[in-house]
Amino acid sequence: MIVLRVPATLQYRDVATRVVSAACKLVEATSAEFGQQVVSAFGEAFNNAVLHAYRGLAPGELVVEVAPLADRIAIRLVDQGRTFDPATIVDPDLDALPESGMGWFIIRSFMDEVRYEPGPPNVLSLAKRL
Amino acid sequence: MNFSLQRDGDALVLRIEGELDALSAPQIRPVIEEVLAGAPKRVTVDLSALRLVDSSGVGAIVSLFKRQRAAGGEFGITGLAGQPLAVFRVLRLDRALSTSA
Repeated sequence: MIVLRVPATLQYRDVATRVVSAACKLVEATSAEFGQQVVSAFGEAFNNAVLHAYRGLAPGELVVEVAPLADRIAIRLVDQGRTFDPATIVDPDLDALPESGMGWFIIRSFMDEVRYEPGPPNVLSLAKRL
Repeated sequence: MNFSLQRDGDALVLRIEGELDALSAPQIRPVIEEVLAGAPKRVTVDLSALRLVDSSGVGAIVSLFKRQRAAGGEFGITGLAGQPLAVFRVLRLDRALSTSA
């Protein structure tokens, strides 16, 4: 298990996504797309935590737990910010070429398991099978 | 994120390098304004050196595409590969934007 504890700011996005990218290489993925998709989904989750969970609040902290397992990669993103209800998120109309509101869609498209447990702390669990 | 602008007559190439994400996307917005201010006949976005993009970065590029087309101009993307290609594909933008004349 890899554990990363960072301030919930976009300045730490690159560090966090690089850790996840490196962890993907520990999994016996059969294609480069595996890591690309996991990193894409995780990056959106990181954005959401920083930009939405902590919006208007004092700077908080994000804990990222990454488990490169034999048959999957499992990631937990833990924040102490605001909760949200994933059921309220509407899929973007891709034909309309949206300029925002695509993050949750990317997460769900690229990951096999997406589970959000409202907190505090809020825990977003993501997993992608090989 | 680094960028460069190259003009060739009434065509313009915007090359974006590195990461275009929620942190850096706001920096590309003034560049987009500069691109459009010149009313180029054709805008090409060269993403061959783009390592990583997120939905914020995609939104900025889609915004450029829409405004260029609304102004009657042509638009294209070159060099889409790796993680950026994966994101463009899942949003069905790889063909919608790249093949637009």
